[in-house]
Amino acid sequence: MQLVTADNLGYSINEKRLFHNLTFSLNSGSGLHIKGGNGSGKSTLLRIILGLTSPSKGGVEYCKPNLQVSYLGHKNAIKHYLTPMQNLELMFRSSALQNAMKWMNTLGLNKVQDELTANLSFGQQKKLALIRIFASQSDLIVLDEPFVGLDNASRDLLNEFLQKKLASDTSLILTSHIEPNILCSELVLSGETDD
Amino acid sequence: MINFFSLEAFKLRHKLRAWLGPLLIMILVLIAFPLSIDISQYDLNKFYFSVIVVSLLMISFLATESIFSEDYEDGSLEQIHLEEKDFYKITLAKILVHVLFIGIPMALIGSIFSFANGVSLAEAPKIFVILSISTLILFNVFAFGSALSINKGSMLGVVASLPLALPAIVLLGRGVRTVQYGQGFFEVSVLMAGVALIVTALMPIIISATLKTHLE
Repeated sequence: MQLVTADNLGYSINEKRLFHNLTFSLNSGSGLHIKGGNGSGKSTLLRIILGLTSPSKGGVEYCKPNLQVSYLGHKNAIKHYLTPMQNLELMFRSSALQNAMKWMNTLGLNKVQDELTANLSFGQQKKLALIRIFASQSDLIVLDEPFVGLDNASRDLLNEFLQKKLASDTSLILTSHIEPNILCSELVLSGETDD
Repeated sequence: MINFFSLEAFKLRHKLRAWLGPLLIMILVLIAFPLSIDISQYDLNKFYFSVIVVSLLMISFLATESIFSEDYEDGSLEQIHLEEKDFYKITLAKILVHVLFIGIPMALIGSIFSFANGVSLAEAPKIFVILSISTLILFNVFAFGSALSINKGSMLGVVASLPLALPAIVLLGRGVRTVQYGQGFFEVSVLMAGVALIVTALMPIIISATLKTHLE
């Protein structure tokens, strides 16, 4: 079943074309790895797919109504003046919170659950942000450089989680300079060209 | 909506500096003014309201300066957009929580200080009412300014939203005069409440569109 289709997508900024005529579709349970150099428009493409940024040309269509999307971008969306536990309380309600707490234990954040998030390392903050993905029920997971800052064990855990999600019919779109250990198709953005 | 309200209250409660700072500055201004200039008690009773009104204006701006910037910078606005598709509810919740945590205490402080400077005990609740309504209007207006300048520093927001705040200050001045002269308080306070309701209903729509534009 098709979940997302992008038709003739184009995006220009300051008279530079980041990409143009991009057409692709994503089925349930399949993954898409968007590749490209710095500034090639990977994050912009993700934001266009999510509806956060409007494309200069073309459009993205969600084929399933009320599509549940989990997203983790460059920004972690966590509050530095709260503890990890309080951040989870902000993100999740009752039943999902229990699941999120289990993930906190799995990721080893239970040892620092009462410290201020500002005092955690970059990697620990990234793990905390990833719990938003781990503990959410969604049809589509969108990740922007999810492996950055993670140690090997956490990378393996994330890879394993994403594999399981793909197997359970959840779709995945991600950008990553670190090669993910999951089976997904690739889309390579070549970067900006003159308009 | 209640969910947003409780989440915003949870966040603001843990940001001590964000709500306690403006209140302490207001207290400081109201204490420092009579101490810093040589003024007779007679004159002080006449002019003290002006100080309350001006400090209310300043502190309202200060209290709403970073009302959206934190969520914008840490990516929370993106997450909210994915769930809600617009920012009306979150904006309304943020403004109401800020009024509850900062605006109402400011109005209370203002009415207590006006009582300490010559207003009778019977009139002090009236001052509290008009100051409370004024903070609701001012917080809406300055929240708009804050949304406008979310990624450009706050000065643009002040310049853009100050003209909108001035009518509220004029209304507040009228309200204060009705308390001083003992007539027309009900009419002016109802007018102020009406304006506050309209502003509170409309401003979140404008702010929501502004935030959405910034997010792109």
